[in-house]
This record gives sequence, structure tokens and C-alpha cells, in this order.
Amino acid sequence: MSTRITVDPITRIEGHLRIDVEVNGGKVTNSWSSGQMFRGIETILQGRDPRDAWIFTQRLCGVCTTVHAIASVRAVENALGIEIPINAQYIRNVIVSAHALHDHMVHFYHLSALDWVDVTSALKADPAKASALGESLSPWPHNSKREMEAVKEKLASFVAGGQLGIFTNGYWGHPAMKLPPEVNLLAVAHYLQALEYQFKANKVVAILGSKTPNIQNLAVGGVANAINLNNQATLNMEKLFMMKDLLEEVAAFVQQVYLPDVAAIGAMYPEWLGYGGGVTNYLSVPDLPLDTKGTQFDLPGGTIVDGNLATLKQITSFQDAYFKDNVTESIAHAWYDGEWDKHPWEEETVPHYTEFDGEKKYSWVKAPRFEGRPMQVGPLAQVLVGYATGHPIIKKYADQVLSTASAIAKVKLGPNVLHSTLGRHAARAVRAATLSELALKHLQLLTENIGKGDVAIFTPWTYPAGEQRGFGFHEAPRGALSHWVVIRDGKIVNYQAVVPSTWNAGPRDEKGQKGPYEASLVGNPIADTAKPLEVLRTVHSFDPCLACAIHTLDVEGNELSKIRTLT
Amino acid sequence: MSDEGGAERGIEPQRRLTVIGLGNVLMGDDALGPTVIGALDAQYEFPPEVAVLDLGTPGLDLTPYLLGFDAAVIVDTVSAPGAPGTIVLYRRDEILKTPPQPRLSPHDPGLKEALLTVAFAGDGPREVLLVGVVPGKVTTGIGLTAAVRAAVPDAVEEVVRELDRLGAPAYSRSPQSPPDLWWERP
Repeated sequence: MSTRITVDPITRIEGHLRIDVEVNGGKVTNSWSSGQMFRGIETILQGRDPRDAWIFTQRLCGVCTTVHAIASVRAVENALGIEIPINAQYIRNVIVSAHALHDHMVHFYHLSALDWVDVTSALKADPAKASALGESLSPWPHNSKREMEAVKEKLASFVAGGQLGIFTNGYWGHPAMKLPPEVNLLAVAHYLQALEYQFKANKVVAILGSKTPNIQNLAVGGVANAINLNNQATLNMEKLFMMKDLLEEVAAFVQQVYLPDVAAIGAMYPEWLGYGGGVTNYLSVPDLPLDTKGTQFDLPGGTIVDGNLATLKQITSFQDAYFKDNVTESIAHAWYDGEWDKHPWEEETVPHYTEFDGEKKYSWVKAPRFEGRPMQVGPLAQVLVGYATGHPIIKKYADQVLSTASAIAKVKLGPNVLHSTLGRHAARAVRAATLSELALKHLQLLTENIGKGDVAIFTPWTYPAGEQRGFGFHEAPRGALSHWVVIRDGKIVNYQAVVPSTWNAGPRDEKGQKGPYEASLVGNPIADTAKPLEVLRTVHSFDPCLACAIHTLDVEGNELSKIRTLT
Repeated sequence: MSDEGGAERGIEPQRRLTVIGLGNVLMGDDALGPTVIGALDAQYEFPPEVAVLDLGTPGLDLTPYLLGFDAAVIVDTVSAPGAPGTIVLYRRDEILKTPPQPRLSPHDPGLKEALLTVAFAGDGPREVLLVGVVPGKVTTGIGLTAAVRAAVPDAVEEVVRELDRLGAPAYSRSPQSPPDLWWERP
């Protein structure tokens, strides 16, 4: 007889996601992913001036602020045919890189590490051994015995003070926790250090964006960062150098701590390089444009089908027809009126809530499809596309993480292990390392271009008459994000955001094909149905952020971390 | 920039107190926090040691905005007994000692975990006041319900009183300008 487990909600940050799994013989045999909140941004944007759209969309989700601002200005610029100055591209690129670095570090250390790291076990660690292990993995200067001792003491006093609440989702002592105490201690030390480095990355966003988390410096047509190297109030040499210092420090942490940590954890949970693959069709969009038109990029985009890198089809420009023509959303299993499967420009959002019925409708999240296929988005998609295109930086770090993990696990691990729960974490670290180089590169490009005397930041434009349609994409920390806008006579008539967590957390479509969360859970082991840590591991590996994927009917009762087991 | 103790402190090192409004301006009464911040900015001048921020709904990304501060006043909607518009005050210990599933707002996992995270790092606010307001309607749409809008002046008053108590009094602006609640503009 099967046991059904409901995890509701699963995300530790904003949002409300419900996961149902059926367990048979200690393994997940079926699953459903359901967004429990209705939102409908289009109702707020209709009739507004497209120039203001980014200010509103950046409030869609409090964690993914910047990414919705960027995708929105790109969508409106695409609709109106506006080309922005190269300085504006570089400034946006530095912002999105720094934001993603911040986000990836927070995700791994502060949101997901506790799925793998048993904090209380760190109290049993030998600081000298933890230090030796850290120093064998990288040249990072903050792995000393003294630092490990200090962290252990801090942890002991925190535990003694009864303040372990921070780790309440940690399931310490769970049979699926397998790291030795020294690895746990090293991870706790890096958890604390990561706080400092995510903060440095965030500071770069604040310098350019003038505020965080909601940046203020964008405009349809460019940016609002006046450039004058000799003026305190503008973007000047002092600020450019300050950002360089900050990004160099972040790069050192990502390359010397984050990447080796993920490799080590991957090597110590080798079975999780087998579980959690699910949907192995991948979609990423190119980003970090190198020209004003958006035809050359530093991050690759494209699609891969059935995990076969030879099927790669690239997405190559902000006007790319392959992307534009092939995105649809299905509401066959989502709480909207009707049964359609439509292109975002053609969609309408008419909520129609019925009860949760896994056979019929069970989610507020629509099911996006690309050429009719469910697609997994996120760092793994981008890393695999990069691997397939021979992207030199991505390939370098992907090979590095695999060879480090292989050495620790004492088995040869190839790129095929990336189609897994821990593969998603590894890919996120690879992407972070890649971005740590590219953020500095784009800051350098900006500095050099300003040095040539080019201070242009904005392209003036006027509204054409009639109707225009546009789309803008951005490879956000959680994957491919696209905004779709229809403008008539200078006003928004339709607006849809197809967000990464919609691609990944969406329900089945009209053909019954599961979404990526759902597919990835099937086959996962469950050691203890009362504490389904394994479900959390796989879902967290996608970095769920549901406030933007979904939509609030009502968060009645705020049952914030309910895990129900129904037999 | 001033620099206490030589270490690089917080997001704005010259400040030691922070007033943070939380909430989503696109979700009805959830805009309470940002609305109170807008009202504070329009009506008061703050000493340089006080940061006043509308942070939206940052979840755990609240952490960097708490690092390095001695005290924090947070304004947010809370799910508590009482009619919409009721103000409920919580101190740090009450926020942290509530049962694992506190009856606070959906972004509470952020507030509670962010406070504990900075405490673990040894660099978070020791004094925390959460000025909570019970919402009426939290669904997609712009604008506060009448009961919650009526609570805004009282919430502003609670913040001002707390800053007084912390020895960083705010002063009434003269003349006063209307608050910049950009999301309410048609």
C-alpha cells in the first residue's frame, strides 16, 4: 500500500508551494507540484505606460527584484526597436552578475546546505582535521585550525543558548545525513563566511542600482547612471575601483570555497548524483550582451533535448525567432478558465479555482512548454548548453568541479552525473564561478569604454503609433526568465511573465507530461515518511522561489512549514 | 565613512539604527510596510545614524540589511487575532520564541531566520521591535483597505516613539510634503 506525503510549503523564502508525493516501498512513485497562490501581474500593468512596467515588475517577487526589472526593460525595448548604448549594457551586465553571485551563494549556504549538512554533528569535529581537509581542497586563507576552533566554539554557545531555531529545517540526526563531523564543521565555517561575501556582491548592486533590493537606475533606453569620472555624485573612478575590489573578493570566495565545497559534498553523497534527474530537456537564454543590439553574448543560450548534448540548438540574439515562436503555456491542469495552450502574447488570465485534484486541476502555476516539451531551466541548463557549445569558462569550471569530486569519491565522474539533484548544485557553483570572472570582465569593459571618452547611457526614443509586440529575456539565477508585452498607442494591453519557477514547478500539461519538479522526484528514496528530507533535497536543488511563479488565493492560516503524512 | 572598531560594518557603516518596511506593494494591504516608510520619509527628518528603508519582501535576503545594526524597527503586516488595522507589537524575544510556525506574515521565515542568522554571525541588532498591523485583504491589487490605511498614522507613531526610546529622535519636517507612494499613482 502506498503512503502519500504532502509537503506544504517547501520553499523557505517567499511563496507557497505544495508538493505531494506517493511513496511505495521506500521510493517516490508519483508526484504533484502545486502553486497555492494566485497572482496576476497583468491586471496591474494593463493600461499603464510601458516605461513604468519595470518598476512594478521588480515588485513581483522580493527576492528576484532586479531580474524582473531587467527582463521588463528588455521586453519594452524589443517591442519598440530601441538599441541601448554599450555603457548601459555593461552597467546592466555588472548588476545582473553581482546579483546572481549574491543569490547563488545565499541559495547554497543559507537555504540548501542544511539539507546536506548536519550542524549538530559539527560539534563533534576535530578542528585540526577540518582545517587540514579545507586546506587540501583549496588555497583559501580562512580554513585555519584557529578559525575552525572559533566556529566550533560559536556553534557550541549558540546551541547552549537554545537558539538552534535557525536550523529547524535542518533535520539533524536524520539517517540520510552522512557527512563526517569535520566536513560539517567546515561547512558551518563557510556558512558564516558566505554571509560576508554575499553582502559584498550585494554592495556592487547597490553602488550601481543606487538602492537594493529594488534598483532605481534603469530606464527603457538605457540606464540613469550619469558618468563623470571627476564627480563624487556620479559613476566615477572611485566607485569603479571599489566595485573591482569587491568583485575580486567575491571571486576568490566563489572559486576557492563555494566550488570545492559543492564538489566535496557531491562526492560524499554519490547516490544523489543519480537521483533527481527528471526532465532532461533544458532551456537557457543567452545573457551578458557584448554589443548594443544584443547579438553577441558572454553567457550561452539554447535548448537540449533528452539530455543529449548533440541536440543543441542555440538561441543567439534578443530578436531570436526560435525562442520567440516556441514558448507556450498550458492551463490543462492549472486553475484558470478553459483548456488552452497559448503563446504568451495571446494569453488571458481568468482564474477559476476548483479543489485540488491531481487528475484534473491542481495548481495556480501554468505549465510552460517549448515546442510542446517541458523544459528544465536554471544553472544546470546553462552549464550544459555551455558544455555543448564549448564555452571555455564554463567548461573549465565544470571540469574542475567534476575532477575534484572524482578525486574525493575515487571514481571517475563525467558530465552525465550533472543530470541529478546534486548536479544542479554543482552547476550553480560552476555558473557562479563563471560569473565571478565575467562580472570583472564587464566592469573592465565598462571602465575601458568610459576611458575612451564615451559617457553615453541613454538612447532617446518616442512611441510609435499602433500596436507593437515585444519580448525580453534574462538568464536569472533560477533560469530562463521572459517577459512578453503588447503595447498599443503607448499603453500596455497585455503583459505576461514566464518565470523560471513556472518552467520548473509547473504542473502536467494537456498531454499529461509532468513538470520538472514532479518528474525529478520520481524514484527518490524516502527513508522516513514523517521526515521527507529527500523530497526537500531534490526540490531545493532547483532553488524554488514561488512568489513569482504563482499566484495568492489566500495564505489562510499561514501554515508555513506543514509536512503532512497521509496514509 | 566612519568605521567603528575598524571592521567594515553593515550596508551603511555610519548608521546604527534601521527602520525597515516589509511588504509587497502589489498585494493590497501587504503594502502597509512600504506605505509607513513613505509616510515617515514625508513627515520626519532622521538623524544620520538612522537608515529608513522600504525593502519589499526580501525573505532571507533581509540578512544583509540587519548586519552591523544595533537596533531595528520593522514594520509589516502580521497575522494575529484582532480586526484589520489592529496594531500588534513584538520584541525580539517574542519574534524568536514563537513556536516554529508563528502566526505572522508569509515573509516571516525571512525575518525570523534573518535575525537568527545575524545573531549566529554575532553581528545583528540586539534591540528589535516589530510593528505589526493586521491586514484586511492581501490579494493582487493596489491600495490599502480603509481600516489598514487608518492604522498608518499610529504605526508611524510607534516607530517614532521607538526611535525616541533608542536615543535617536526623528524631527517633524516643516513644511511637510505628501508621501511618494508611486505604486498608488494610476
